[in-house]
Amino acid sequence: MLVVEHLTKVYEDGTVALKDVSFTVDDGEFLVIIGLSGSGKSTLLRCINRLIEPTEGRILWNGVDITQASEAEMRRIRREIGMIFQHFNLVERSSVLTNVLTGRLGYLPSWWSLINYFPEREKERAMAALERVGIADKAHNRADALSGGQKQRVGIARALMQEPKMILADEPVASLDPVLAHSILGYLETLNQEQGITVLCSLHYLDLVQRYATKVIGLRDGRLVYEGTGEQIRNITDEEFKQVYGQEAQRLSVGG
Amino acid sequence: MGANKSSLAKPSWLQALLSLLVPGLGQAVSGAVSRGVYIFLSVVTLSGLAVFAAAQRPRYPDYALSFRAYLYFLLESAALLLFLLALYWLARRYAMKTEFARNVAAPAFVAVTVVVLFLAAPQMLETFLSAAQLKKLYGMTSLLTAFVVAAIWAWNVYDAAWVRGKDFAPSMGNFYMLVIVGVLVLGTRIVQINPAKAIREYKDTGVILGQIAWPWRVAFDYSRSELVAIAKVQAPCPPGSNPPPVQQPKEGRPWVSVTPTCGELSKRDAEGHLTYGTLLTIRGGGFKPNKKVHILWANPLGNTFTPRGFGPTDIQVGPDGTFTTKLYIPDVTIPSVAKGPQIHELRVVQRGAAKFTGRLSKDMKLALEAMLESIMMGLMATAFGIVLSVPLSFLAARNLMSTLHTTSQGFVGGVIGLVGGAYLGKLAGDYLAPLVGGLEKAPILTFFIYFTLVLVLAIVAYRLLSRALDSIAERLPALVSFGVGIAGMALIGAVVGYELGLGYAHGILGITRGPEGALQAAPHTAMLGAVLGAFLGGLWAWRLGVHGTIPIGRMIYAATRLILNIGRSIEPLIWAIMGVIWVGPGPFAGFIALTIHSVAALGKLYSEAIESIDPGPIEALQATGASRLQTIVYAVIPQVMPPFTAFTLYRWDINVRMSTIIGLVGGGGIGFLLIQWIHQFQYEQAGLAVWLITITVATLDFISASIREKMV
Ligand SMILES: Nc1ncnc2c1ncn2[C@@H]1O[C@H](COP(=O)(O)OP(=O)(O)OP(=O)(O)O)[C@@H](O)[C@H]1O
Ligand SMILES: [Mg+2]
Repeated sequence: MLVVEHLTKVYEDGTVALKDVSFTVDDGEFLVIIGLSGSGKSTLLRCINRLIEPTEGRILWNGVDITQASEAEMRRIRREIGMIFQHFNLVERSSVLTNVLTGRLGYLPSWWSLINYFPEREKERAMAALERVGIADKAHNRADALSGGQKQRVGIARALMQEPKMILADEPVASLDPVLAHSILGYLETLNQEQGITVLCSLHYLDLVQRYATKVIGLRDGRLVYEGTGEQIRNITDEEFKQVYGQEAQRLSVGG
Repeated sequence: MGANKSSLAKPSWLQALLSLLVPGLGQAVSGAVSRGVYIFLSVVTLSGLAVFAAAQRPRYPDYALSFRAYLYFLLESAALLLFLLALYWLARRYAMKTEFARNVAAPAFVAVTVVVLFLAAPQMLETFLSAAQLKKLYGMTSLLTAFVVAAIWAWNVYDAAWVRGKDFAPSMGNFYMLVIVGVLVLGTRIVQINPAKAIREYKDTGVILGQIAWPWRVAFDYSRSELVAIAKVQAPCPPGSNPPPVQQPKEGRPWVSVTPTCGELSKRDAEGHLTYGTLLTIRGGGFKPNKKVHILWANPLGNTFTPRGFGPTDIQVGPDGTFTTKLYIPDVTIPSVAKGPQIHELRVVQRGAAKFTGRLSKDMKLALEAMLESIMMGLMATAFGIVLSVPLSFLAARNLMSTLHTTSQGFVGGVIGLVGGAYLGKLAGDYLAPLVGGLEKAPILTFFIYFTLVLVLAIVAYRLLSRALDSIAERLPALVSFGVGIAGMALIGAVVGYELGLGYAHGILGITRGPEGALQAAPHTAMLGAVLGAFLGGLWAWRLGVHGTIPIGRMIYAATRLILNIGRSIEPLIWAIMGVIWVGPGPFAGFIALTIHSVAALGKLYSEAIESIDPGPIEALQATGASRLQTIVYAVIPQVMPPFTAFTLYRWDINVRMSTIIGLVGGGGIGFLLIQWIHQFQYEQAGLAVWLITITVATLDFISASIREKMV
């Protein structure tokens, strides 16, 4: 279970990106974060695995306060939390297999990296992960030779290597076309439903949100302005919509 | 001077007057302070330099005279300039009616001014100064600079009349142009640019330049056929001595016969007057007809020389292969130990044409070996440069280092650990070193032991204590641990301050008070430093607050950058001089110099390459729980490989170039040979070295360019 309490983030330049945000995510939930550009979605996701240092507040992950974790504890926590990025964040010049293998680094001794050593069983695990996202045949290609959709699947395979209990996905389909978007979110949904992996995902398109979310939170200017179940988001009122997206916002697509 | 006057109605006469008295003052009063400062400083600087440069003509410069002359010239220039400006104004007002005339007026004015100035210069020089005084100055430099300054002054008065602070500031183009002209005039004098000299002396250097430009004759060995005939001559010729017999002609072989075979040496007295010795009649035969023979004299030790001034030494052989000539026995310095009659030799030599053998000459082989030495020196320096600079470059990459923070307690523990660990390492080294033989017998092993122990123990202790203090501080009540942090930082500040205080006494006070005064002051400055340091350290920790962190990564980054910048700004040739002092002349000194410079240069280039990588993969790997080392290996290194390779090639190129000239200061390689040959006036050999350097550098340029092309 993930509990976020009074989370605030003030960047060094004084920007208040998150202001007193609190919510709870139960295990196995598919939580979608919505909000305008600049509303603090990325900041929130990055605070959870402390890629960004929160300024105030607590984040409890199965009872452990992430914000107070030491470096070594943080390593153990992070390897249980996979992360998927809008721009995939693959190492373009490395092979697909190596990119997937790097997902396992949190479990391996540091110094092995000096001799570029991965045990056989990790390589098998990586092939299996690629198998699951359907691009095992590309294992030995360089990552920069892949299409966007394939790259995001490599990103998922990398997260799978962590055997995660939770996946953070920051606009994972924003750079992909609608068909690919459904395919990628479909993978996440399968993982969520079959393995009970909690998913925290920020999304821009309301129809996608309505299709996949079991729970939704809405941010606006760093404040939590909406909280609802999957059922509620599918029947979102104009009032609520404007609360999240602003008074001038127009709903382009309704239903899902 | 084409300021847009219409925007402001009236010139301000007061400001103009102020600027006439003190250049720039009017502008400053109008609110354009920095403009005024520029003008004032440029007038003062140009004038000062002019007085200095003009006085450098005699060995003992007369600055007072130079200053006086400059003032005269300034007045003369101002007068001339005002006269010309008045003419210009009149011409524009009354003569120039067409647009074309008005367009060319300004350039024409400048051209006329230059011509008039040069025509009037001799008279202007002599107006106030006597010929003797002029001999003690570079008058033309002084005059021309004075004219430029006068022009700046005039412009400045005009400018002051129109400038209105920030609201209206006309272009300063004319001002900059004038300053540049002034600097060029002074530069010509100070650099002693003298085209006349270059042209006059070209003739004498032509031959040498030719030898350097086409030295290939000395690159090869030649064989020469030589016909030699020898006759013995005894000198002096006391009665009763037993002179060698007169040689008789021999059929089919070169021969020479001298009569008499015994005689007296020519003598030169203390004043250099020459008294001729015995006149020899020389006949010879059996040589190639119609060619020349050369006569040489060999003293009793066998040293030969051409006896010039004692008779003909190059003689035409007749059609039958014989010749006859006469020669005084030359004056020969004989070793003082040799007493009594000595046997000398007269040698007749006929050289055949030189025959090309195709073998490389000794000099060419030397040059090739030295070239190889240079190339290898450049290669090795590059290799070592890479190995040493890569770790440094990671420390000097802002994006990697800026994420590294520590609490003040962790910092205190870390510093104590670092110093303590290093000290423990040294102690352990002191214990272990004698076992392997010590610095004398096993210098490398000993150094390695010390280096590893100090480094490893310092790092281990740093991490241990840093973590230990951190976790202790976490368990203590927040305020107590805050106090611990402040106390620790104060302690570190005190130690650093103490050392700085000592340094201040010896380094700064020592300059004025001498070593004894410094020693006296040292305890006080050290104590003061300690107190001040403790205060500042404590204050820093206090300002950080309970949860604040110290950006230790940024500090390491800044320190590494500083070291790299220093290493880079000292030229390789200067490092080579230090290398020669350290390990003596030779390629090793050059290698050290190039390696140090390569480490600094590559470290900077590499770290900039690291700073410009895509941060996405780093973030992704951090998110998987990868350690710092793993992140570097799998996210940073793959991304920096291409730029690293490019920079390495570039550096290799530079290093080989540098290695060819680093020998000029004793760094070994071909430069060493080159400078030796030049000092011995062996210009053809020097030419060989120059050619080899040029060929190598050009080839290398081509190779690295094509490799780089392939990589892109
Ligand atoms: N490193 C940073 N330094 C300062 N301000 C930042 C930084 N990163 C983000 N911000 C600011 O914080 C606020 C929230 O940014 P964030 O990236 O979290 O928004 P977002 O909801 O993810 O937007 P988008 O949908 O465009 O990705 C914005 O105002 C942004 O400008
Ligand atoms: Mg974002």
